[in-house]
Parts: sequence; C-alpha cells; structure tokens
Amino acid sequence: MKHLLSGLLLAGAAAFVPGTHAQDRLDISVPEDALEVQRKFLCSRTEGDVTYGYFEGKMYSRVEGERDRTLFNLVGVNVRQCKDLMDPERGKGFRSVSREVMLYLDPETNKVLRTWENPWTGETVDVIHVANDPVNMRRPIHVYREDGSPIEFNGLFKNGRVITSFNVPLFYKNPLGGEYQDYVGGTYHAMEMFNNYAYEDEVLDRNNMKLSRYTYSWTRVADWLPWMKMGDRLGIMFTSVIGARVNTVDDIPEPLLSEMKANYPKFLTPPPLDDDRPNETTWVITKAAIDAARGDN
Amino acid sequence: MLRKTLIASSLMLAGFGVHAQELDVSDPDQALLASNKIFCANEPGEIALYWWQGEVYSRIPGEKDTHIFNVQGMNARQCGRMEDETRGLGFRSVSREIMLYLDPETNEILRTWTNPWTKEDVEVMHVNNDPVNSRGPRWARDENGEPSVRFEPQQVVNGMVLSGGGAARLFYNNPLTGDYQDYEGGKYHAAEFLTVSYPLADALDASKTAIQDAVISWGRISGWLPWMKMRGRSGLMVHYTHGMRLHDWEDLPDVLREEIEANWPKYQTPPPADDDRPNDTTWTVFKRWIDEKREKGEVPKQGPR
Repeated sequence: MKHLLSGLLLAGAAAFVPGTHAQDRLDISVPEDALEVQRKFLCSRTEGDVTYGYFEGKMYSRVEGERDRTLFNLVGVNVRQCKDLMDPERGKGFRSVSREVMLYLDPETNKVLRTWENPWTGETVDVIHVANDPVNMRRPIHVYREDGSPIEFNGLFKNGRVITSFNVPLFYKNPLGGEYQDYVGGTYHAMEMFNNYAYEDEVLDRNNMKLSRYTYSWTRVADWLPWMKMGDRLGIMFTSVIGARVNTVDDIPEPLLSEMKANYPKFLTPPPLDDDRPNETTWVITKAAIDAARGDN
Repeated sequence: MLRKTLIASSLMLAGFGVHAQELDVSDPDQALLASNKIFCANEPGEIALYWWQGEVYSRIPGEKDTHIFNVQGMNARQCGRMEDETRGLGFRSVSREIMLYLDPETNEILRTWTNPWTKEDVEVMHVNNDPVNSRGPRWARDENGEPSVRFEPQQVVNGMVLSGGGAARLFYNNPLTGDYQDYEGGKYHAAEFLTVSYPLADALDASKTAIQDAVISWGRISGWLPWMKMRGRSGLMVHYTHGMRLHDWEDLPDVLREEIEANWPKYQTPPPADDDRPNDTTWTVFKRWIDEKREKGEVPKQGPR
C-alpha cells in the first residue's frame, strides 16, 4: 500500500529513476538529492508552503567575579518559505525568505517585558524585542555552486537520526559603532551555534516534502544587547535554547502566539517569495529606534 | 507492590507484542520511572551510554573566536534502584566520563598542544572524571511521603519532548587556587547547558526501561583549562556539541572507542552502584595529575615568571 502510494506520487517526478526501492530514497551522494535534503533542513520542499520554527530558552549574563545571572526567558519563531529556482548552469535551486520574532520574558513570571531594570546600572530601559524582517538567504542554494562544484550535504547519519551542526563566529563592523572600530574597538563580536536533529526515514524519503519531527538547539555568545545600555561595561551574554518545527500558526505555543497576534501580526507570515530587501538585525533595528527617539533621523 | 505488578506486566506485554501499557505519571513512582529512563535506565545494571562530539572556540575581546579543538566525549552510567517505605521508589546514578581534545584540522587525538598565545608546548590532559555520581538518591516522595517527582515535559511538539534551554551556573571555589578566592578571585566560573529531545511515547511506554531515541546538545562557557597554562590571561572557552544515546559500546566512533579501550579501559563501564567516592572534576583530576608530575620532578613547582 505504502509503495503503491509512493509509486503514484513519484510517477511524475522521478519516473526516470530505475529500480524499485531506490527511487523512494534520496541518495546524498547525488548532488540533486543532496539539494533536496539540504532544503528539508531549511524549509518545505513545496514552494510557498510555510514552516514555523519555534524555540524557547533563557539568556544569561557572564560578568567576571559574579555568578551568571538569568536575565530573560526567551521564546521565538522563524516563519519561512522557499522559492523554487532553476539556473541553466547551476541547476535546480531554492531561496528562503523569513521573518523572525524573539521575545524577552521576565524569568520569574514569564510575562513579556516592556521595560527592564538593568541590575548593573539601575536604569530602567525600554526593551526592544527581536523582530527582524526580513531574515532572508543572501544567496540561493543550487545543485552546483558558483564555482561549478556540486553541493554536498554534511550531516551525521547515525542510528536512524540525522544531525547537522554548525558554528558561526561573527566579527564584523557594528552599525552602531564609529568609523574607526579596528582602532578603538566596538566591533560586533559573537558566535552562533546550531544543532538540528531529524529522523533518517523522513530525511531520505523522496516523497516527504517537509520534516515533521524536527528539533534543534541554538546558543549565541555575544556582547550586551544595545538597548540594555551597558556601554563599555565588561561582560557577555549567552543563550541556551531548544526548539522544534510546529505544524501551523496555531501550534505556536503561548505566550508567543498571543503577543504576535497583538503586536507583531505581520510576523505570522513570511515575506513574499521574491523579497529582495536587505536583512534586518538587532543592530539596525536598535539604531533606528534610538535615532527615532532622539528625533534626529 | 504496584511496582512489581508494573514490571511484571510490562515484561509480559513486551513478550506478547501487545500494545504498550502507559505509565500513569500522576503516581510519583511511575513519574520517576518515566523521568529516570531519559539519562539513565530503570533496570539495575543496564548501562546508559551517551556520546557527543563538537567544537571548542576561544573567545578573547578584540579578536574573532578561534576554533582551537574538536572534542569527542562519552558518559557510561547506571542507576542503583532502591525502595523506601515512606519515600517510595528511588534511583541513584553513578557514571564515568571521558572527553578527548582533538586537533581541529586532522581530528587526531592531541597529546601535546602548542598554545598559540604563549607559544609554549603543553601536555594535553583529556577529561577523565571518575566518578561523576549523583550525590544522593532521587526519591519519588520526600521525607513526609509527599510526591517529590513530577513528569511534566516543558514542551511537546509533534510527539517530541523538548527539554532544556537553561544552564547550570557554576561558581565555586577552585581547588587549584588559594583560601582567599572571595578576596583575590580565581573561583571556578562556568555555565553548562544541555538540551535533550526524545519521543514522549517512549517515556510513557511501561515496557521500555530506557529511552534509546534521545538526542542531545551540550555546551559550556568557562575559563581556560588549567593544562593550557594561560597564567590568568583574559578570555573564555566555548564548547558546543551534539550527540545521542547509543545502543552499545561498538556504536562509539572509532577514535573514541579505541582510545578508551587502549588507555582508559575502566571507563567502558560505570562504577558500582554503591560507589561513594567524591566526584571528580577537571580541577581535582588536574591537581592530582600535576602534583604527581611535580613529585616526580617532571615539572617545576612553579613556572618561570
């Protein structure tokens, strides 16, 4: 029954593949299949089908000489879709577009924070939640890279699981800093760390268009958030987060869903497939907010 | 009584392939059974083997984080099972733990390492903590017989339990520094963070004594490792890893399995369930390691200023 069904589904897409069972399974050593697997980890294989990447966790401070403090609870979601692409030289491809919200919650009450009393400065500051629109793939992924080499899927296949993991050290010019950051400091310095966990039976199933059992962890180690108004105070922050892909908008857990409906309704859907605006980051958004408050933008 | 019935019936169910019976987690004993099988096993003597691999970075203000090591680690654990008239069912875990530092390019096990900041060649001391035990048993009920264990997953998505997103914040006296750490500094300061996800059905399945299908992430932010000989330089280390529970010893990657079999054979099994030795940490192990070298005259008492 299962084979019959998948056979029918495959008839149009992969009827040219010889063999019986092999055609139901993606083969990551084939670049065209590696692309499909890569896409499953990022979004749905169906153009315009939206994925909701939910996550929750905590953010901590690390200041020398004191025990780390729990600053915030975190809840967030990335709402994403992918566009199908075809390039005469680079073959089939895709590009993702998304919007992302991450809220800072009171670690005791789990309520969405509007203001926050900075425990080091004693100042009460306005909280600027993460609401980045867009967070898009800068360059699309194709079967063949720009240099003509075929793409590879680098995942760990073990005991029926597939795990991908990547760490991204960031060290770039801070939009809030001046023109002499190499000389006087202020460069944005962080590292983002991601682990993604899926099941091999879904990952390699040619007929599976979207992973349903898909979890992940994320950690960022970074300097203070600009709205905390920490200035040059020594210390860093880090997050510890776990998440999973949920099926629909209504499956986004509370209190995130209600807050998004009330204050971030646009973020419940991804940007249009052909969105070509530059990406937003906390730095860009905070700069705009500070400049607006100053009245000098 | 209930417990015996439970075990008997779960064995029967497993034997006859009937639909799995679910644990009733409103009962504290059964809640303990559901939560104990994630990182341990409910059957005494059954080994829970966890494995992880990942990367280690330095973080120094003013420079991009540098990938300095890869790591391969494992923990072999078992749980002693006990019963008490007032407190009900109890488990105590005992384990041993190895984590190897590997060359970030070649993935070969490092024996020595050239510290890029001091340019000194130092001997690498891998993590070899024996034991890593829970201090006391975890009981289903407190001294007054009130339930002390609940099985309430923080989040379940599509049948998968999400657990974690917090950190163990460590800030304690460092065995390598002196008696005036509150005044002079030198405390051990770190945070460790673990996440795990697994099928809820496996936790509730009364016929399963362990959850095999569990994937983890583990990370740590800490000061430098003592064997790096950083002499108090500013900066941090960031570990980030991914891993899973393994079915058996042969499941370990060759590099880790062969090194343990050759050089750390006792780490293939957990300590005995009644092990009452104090726990090891990198600090206690390093102190023994370096003191022995000093005793033998292999390293000077104090390095050059």
